Amino acid sequence: MEPDAAAAGLSELVGCPVTISGAASLGAQRSTLFVDLERSTGVESAVAQISTGAVETRPVTAEAALLELVGRHGVPVPTVYAATDELPGIGLPAMILSRARGRTIPRHILRALPDRDAGDNLARQCGAALAALHAIPTTEAPPAFEEVSPTRFVELQTERLELLARPRPAIRYGLRWLADNEPAPVDSTIVHGDLRNGNIVVDDDGLVAVLDWEVAQRSDPMQDLAWLCLRTWRFGADDRPVGGFGAIDALVDGYETAGGTFRQRAFDWWTAARCAWWAIGLAAQALAFTTGRTDAIMLAASGRRVPELEFDLLDHIRRIDH
Amino acid sequence: MHDDPDAVTLLEAMAATLTDRVVPALHDGVQHEARIVANLCRILARELAESGADRDMFAALIGHDGKRGDLAAELDQLIASGHAPPDTLAVLLADVTRRAEITKPGYTFTDGT
Repeated sequence: MEPDAAAAGLSELVGCPVTISGAASLGAQRSTLFVDLERSTGVESAVAQISTGAVETRPVTAEAALLELVGRHGVPVPTVYAATDELPGIGLPAMILSRARGRTIPRHILRALPDRDAGDNLARQCGAALAALHAIPTTEAPPAFEEVSPTRFVELQTERLELLARPRPAIRYGLRWLADNEPAPVDSTIVHGDLRNGNIVVDDDGLVAVLDWEVAQRSDPMQDLAWLCLRTWRFGADDRPVGGFGAIDALVDGYETAGGTFRQRAFDWWTAARCAWWAIGLAAQALAFTTGRTDAIMLAASGRRVPELEFDLLDHIRRIDH
Repeated sequence: MHDDPDAVTLLEAMAATLTDRVVPALHDGVQHEARIVANLCRILARELAESGADRDMFAALIGHDGKRGDLAAELDQLIASGHAPPDTLAVLLADVTRRAEITKPGYTFTDGT
């Protein structure tokens, strides 16, 4: 993708001159660029996301519609300025968003917290944001967002497991356990699917915005709380289960004060489910390297992170079954 | 046999050089990748130094000998078909603990909060 062509396409999309000032991240699936919008009222810093992945999970315009919906319902998100499934001159899906000011790098977020109270406050704010999200009637969700029940989740992960190069009995055991221990059925809500330390913007007052809605779905709301608390997103701060910054009680307090209902058993189930999901995800990244679909050393290294997630999965099951 | 230093020693020296001398001289964009490479060198050194004493855990569970990959595939099928042997969880946990302690030493010593 030529930078000049991308800038020209983004200019046409948003209707004013756009200059690209830098790359925020260049992921396997999407590039996130810092851009300046030269509006008649002055220059505004913004963010452009251009999807480069071969596999697009859903149209970017559907993601933009979801961002507008959840923003209206009080979930802190960037404002969508423009979105298209075919950027002029480039042909790739793209979106231009307001730039939320604050820290996004997990370790920077953790370092900047002055004390445990500030971390608990951030956990409460995450709980409140999730409660606002989970309160939105699912009938308002764009149709592109699929329903993922616990049963469907296990089916999907079993299919993904079969695609890996080598047998993984630890993950298989986890999937069998999940199938045998499904939580009681519950009405699905809109679920972010990837809310964790790494997809939030935080300033000195706490949560500014929730980013990266590309895997949003309709599912059990406990999936979001469980993923936020996975050990892998604590960056070594295991005494602070919520993203390495907060206590579970603070997250639950923020969630329930804002109208959510915390269900421990479903939370525990989704903790195991997302451990299995991420173990398979890391193994799949390594497979992309060994099969020549990427030469990124970071994805190759993911293969050596699978044992951590397998351990988290089985250790969690052992504690529950004990 | 190869010349000295041996592979483990060399990998540890490569990791130390990357961490102590190369990483500080790099800009943000590639620093992270250099750290990943240094960490991979350390993991490989531990893999090479491993005794392999625990490798017959799957054989004891299933009840016959075999190559590690074949035994893992057989155990995988037993679990998938609902015929996991009684001690499966304990053996799998011991196996992932061994592997996780190579990729990330200290990771499995947790109170699980």
